[in-house]
Amino acid sequence: MKCKCVWLWIAGSSVFLSAMVLAGCKTSDDAAAASSQMATTSLKLSSYYKALQTTFQETDELYQLNAQLYAKPYTSENQQLLKTNEAELAKRAQLAADLSALSESFGSLTATTTPATVASDASQVETDLDKLAALKASSTEQGALRLAVQQLASAIQQHKEREAAKAMEGAAQSLSDLFAKETSVWNSTEEVYSQIAANLAANLVDANLTDNSAVLDVALAPFGLVRSASIGDMNQKLAPVAKQQIATEKAAMDESYLNATDGMAKALVQMAQRIQALAEGKPMTARRAPLSLATVQEWVTQVNSVANTLAPASAAAAGSAASGSGKEK
Amino acid sequence: MANALADVQTTFLNLDGQYNLLLAACPTQADRDALMERYSAAESAYDQCVGQLLEDDDAAVATLCTQLAAINKQVSALTTQMGDMSKVLALLDQALKLGQQVIACLA
Repeated sequence: MKCKCVWLWIAGSSVFLSAMVLAGCKTSDDAAAASSQMATTSLKLSSYYKALQTTFQETDELYQLNAQLYAKPYTSENQQLLKTNEAELAKRAQLAADLSALSESFGSLTATTTPATVASDASQVETDLDKLAALKASSTEQGALRLAVQQLASAIQQHKEREAAKAMEGAAQSLSDLFAKETSVWNSTEEVYSQIAANLAANLVDANLTDNSAVLDVALAPFGLVRSASIGDMNQKLAPVAKQQIATEKAAMDESYLNATDGMAKALVQMAQRIQALAEGKPMTARRAPLSLATVQEWVTQVNSVANTLAPASAAAAGSAASGSGKEK
Repeated sequence: MANALADVQTTFLNLDGQYNLLLAACPTQADRDALMERYSAAESAYDQCVGQLLEDDDAAVATLCTQLAAINKQVSALTTQMGDMSKVLALLDQALKLGQQVIACLA
């Protein structure tokens, strides 16, 4: 049902943007800007989902470590549940990426006004939608979408721009609504990831398995000093400070994610509002991509940076944990 | 939307945070096995809830969530009951049972 809304939105976007192409030079400029903004926003949405996918993969690794180190069971059934949920994220990431590609292709349409070329490009859009439909939609949804694209080509060739644009009103809102509807679920998965990681980190500090001396840097670095390679008994004395650092960093991780989610939601709302304004024949008031996308990129960069740092070590740890006996008990 | 998910999440994370102490307090292998079983069930319930992308505007679900939230207050302090592992396991069973009822309502 949710995916069907997105498919309808994509079809609606096709109708609307292509209609804008044929509505004159001024509107064509606006359509080009709208296409560009849609492409940027959709691509950022894809990056957002992919970063969330990364947190799922790290959660999987944390569970494996917990099983190995602390006898916290991680059954193959539970691992499969996690993987299934991660797969849902992957579908959303791919959908958003494909939508971005489609938006780019709409942008190129603004250079042409001949019905024959539009029909040809609409045919290409149909091909793109075939790829999208293969991701999840049922055969019923695929059929409805294909029909919508065929109607799009027909509407453009018959110059029914206004009807098409009006049909788009509200449809652009559906992607924003879908995101908003699922936000609390993804918020929850991020919180579980950060809390499970923080719990494990605190356990490792308690077990004196960490080098806590890094917390001394705040005192030493301003004076160009480095800590000793071995701090002996002081390591355990620094444990409370290390655990406080875990709590502080966890809170920062959660806040960064929530800011990114808020930024993504705002960007999608702005896009929907701008497209609606265009559909109503109003000029485009802003041609830049929504500014709130910057907070999304900030979080995505953080997640990818951590993932890149961890890649070799976590792969080894996960491999070791998987070969252990902790998976069932 | 996600109040039900939040409650099931709380059960799981509360247990995860106290797990090591509870496991160490288990007097018998049977108790340890029972605790492990509850941990796995709590994790499973959470992931199932995520998978269903919960809607909790149903009145029955709201009632279950209220009950689960009340039990979760006790689950958040399981380590205070470590001297009586049967009580710990019983509390977890109550929370997990309510979690399963939530999932059943939403399925």
